[in-house]
Amino acid sequence: MSIYKGNLFWVLLHLGAIVIVVINLLTGLRIASVSRPLWQSISAILPQGLIHPLHFTSGILLIVLVIGYIGWRLLTRGQRPKPVKPQALNFHRLVIRSGYLIFFGAMLSGLLAYFSLAPALVVAVHYYCALGIICYLLLHGGGYFVHYGMAAIKRILWPSRQLSPVSLGLLLLTFLLAGLGLQLSGKAAHVLLVAKVPLSQLIHIDGKADEAVWRQAETVDVLTQGGANFDNGQTRIRVQVVENGIEAFFHISWDDPTKSLKHLPLLKTQSGWQVEQQGFYNFDETRYYEDKLAVMVSNQCQAGGAGTVHLGPKPLADKPANWHGKGYHYSQDGAIRDLWHWKAVRTNNMILADDNYIGPPDKVRPGSRRYSAGYLQDGKESGAYVMNWRWYKPDVITPKRLPKSPELLTPYQQDNSDGLSWVIPWFDYQPYQAEHDNYPVGTRMPSVMYRSNRFEGDRADVRAFARWHQGRWSLELSRKLDTGSEYDVPLRHGVCLWVSAFDQSQVAHTRHALPIQLEFSGA
Amino acid sequence: MIFRFTLLLAICSAVYAYTVRYPHERPGVPVSERWQKLTAKGQPLAPWAGPWACVLDKKNGLIWEVKTDNESIHDGYWSYSWFDGRAGQANLGDCYFESERCDTLDLIRRANQEAQCGVSNWRLPSAEELQSLLYYQGKTGDALIDKGFFPHTKHGDYWSGQAQQPLTSSFRHLGYGALAVNFGTGETLALPYRNAAFVRLVSQLD
Repeated sequence: MSIYKGNLFWVLLHLGAIVIVVINLLTGLRIASVSRPLWQSISAILPQGLIHPLHFTSGILLIVLVIGYIGWRLLTRGQRPKPVKPQALNFHRLVIRSGYLIFFGAMLSGLLAYFSLAPALVVAVHYYCALGIICYLLLHGGGYFVHYGMAAIKRILWPSRQLSPVSLGLLLLTFLLAGLGLQLSGKAAHVLLVAKVPLSQLIHIDGKADEAVWRQAETVDVLTQGGANFDNGQTRIRVQVVENGIEAFFHISWDDPTKSLKHLPLLKTQSGWQVEQQGFYNFDETRYYEDKLAVMVSNQCQAGGAGTVHLGPKPLADKPANWHGKGYHYSQDGAIRDLWHWKAVRTNNMILADDNYIGPPDKVRPGSRRYSAGYLQDGKESGAYVMNWRWYKPDVITPKRLPKSPELLTPYQQDNSDGLSWVIPWFDYQPYQAEHDNYPVGTRMPSVMYRSNRFEGDRADVRAFARWHQGRWSLELSRKLDTGSEYDVPLRHGVCLWVSAFDQSQVAHTRHALPIQLEFSGA
Repeated sequence: MIFRFTLLLAICSAVYAYTVRYPHERPGVPVSERWQKLTAKGQPLAPWAGPWACVLDKKNGLIWEVKTDNESIHDGYWSYSWFDGRAGQANLGDCYFESERCDTLDLIRRANQEAQCGVSNWRLPSAEELQSLLYYQGKTGDALIDKGFFPHTKHGDYWSGQAQQPLTSSFRHLGYGALAVNFGTGETLALPYRNAAFVRLVSQLD
């Protein structure tokens, strides 16, 4: 071992690095477990709860430590004994040199991902560097322990008491840099200028976005990642916002090669009707589900979802575990975040987005199998979509209604049924009776029904309509700047947005770290 | 060195064994101290199981009808005028299961014929029994009832069996009506018999 490694600065830096790397690794693996369920198998040793801020903070601190280390290496170059002859590349040296590469890769890719600049390859590099760090810890830490025993541990725990002025200066500088880095990271955002348009300017919520205002409006492009079914889990979401003093209008578009409308369709089998699904029983369907897009609006702008993303199977000790092991959305500060959930079948045909919110964790309700923590719906006065089964079971269900005429199902039997609405017209169907159920095995039937009118009341505050064209969804939304509802967040200067796309998946959405912060012109 | 290598291996194995021993938690079925789901044949069901047709109120010894959205006689959308065969107004509610329109007696008669949950003595609840269902800790915008056990409950008036109640304010000129509990507001008020209100039947546990 090198003789200078008892130096107080080095020992503090090394100890700091151990703590920070372990935090970074464990939080990173928990984040990875959302998209890579394999890691749920070691869930017991992974942290749960508000993981993203911890991961981002430890990432920034690691970068600062590395800068401090490089500075120390440079400034103490003259003090280190020079080898008489070139040193052989022994095992430890090889591991450490490999570590430099791995840590550099992890930090650079992490930074790019943080700023939504990481293409799929870079995201993969970040993940594989994390795996490399696990190996590094075993080979470096384990290697020194096996080679030198307790002496190695003593060396990293017991420094000499000397601290040279250079080391002291570097230590202070490192702390200063850490503070600065954390301060700056707390303010980072994708800023989006919101232009004011005259009230006389009509904007149709039709998904076309062919009004002149959209050609002039500023655009923010966010590369989101981690969603099921998208190419490499990524899609680039383009966001534009304008306002007229009363309402705000949003045009959001994103790449999605497949238009997915087959929302939990029913399939006639030998044993009866079955809901087509592969993960719905665990509330994590990723095959037979409609496309969706969610917009979160928040007065809180912390990176990683405004403090609402709590990962792990049981992030709340006194609340039930979740079925998919991924986590819950809820707020801990008592404030609500607005959440608009556009759904390609269930709400698009209502020309609405489902107006929801994320608030403090809900109470446990013994009659409900799914506990959704803080993810809740605004109240409604009337209107609903319902599913065409009396009671969901993974094997066989009984539909609530059947078509009055079998021909009504003919279009749904074709491979390409993207042109259909996949919503059951209520009055073309009749209550289920076994004697009318003569459909052949293999018949497919939609399962979304509008029993009454569209939503009315607080839940219907967000008008929305989207069109899919040549591999891209184009969604227009509008909402009053201030609805007056305690479950909505007013749209004003400085408010932050997050956007997430879902490709035929129930919960496996894409995500991005930094908020899109609205800057109202003239504010 | 071999000892230290073995020690390192043992530590790694212990961490691995710990993760195997404690796989990630699955949700456990919570217990309701008051409510018990019952099948259409009267068999008890676990809180998450279904479909269920009735709910046993363990606290008050009552069996409650569960509303549905399957267009059967128990559909939550149907409304009824108050009528007991002598007093009240017949056939002024809306439902699909009667050739004429509906009243409370129609539902009681059909439910007793059907003997849902093995019960054939269904009746209208008292106002006090209905009030015992009021639940103020529901989700935002929910009707004031535990919807995990009582789905398809409307934000509206539900008839009690308490008739001959003097009407007040704008209904005063109609004389008498029956008490109803509103599951949107939690209020209990006397309504004219002719009003179309919702119904949730009840039966005393034998």
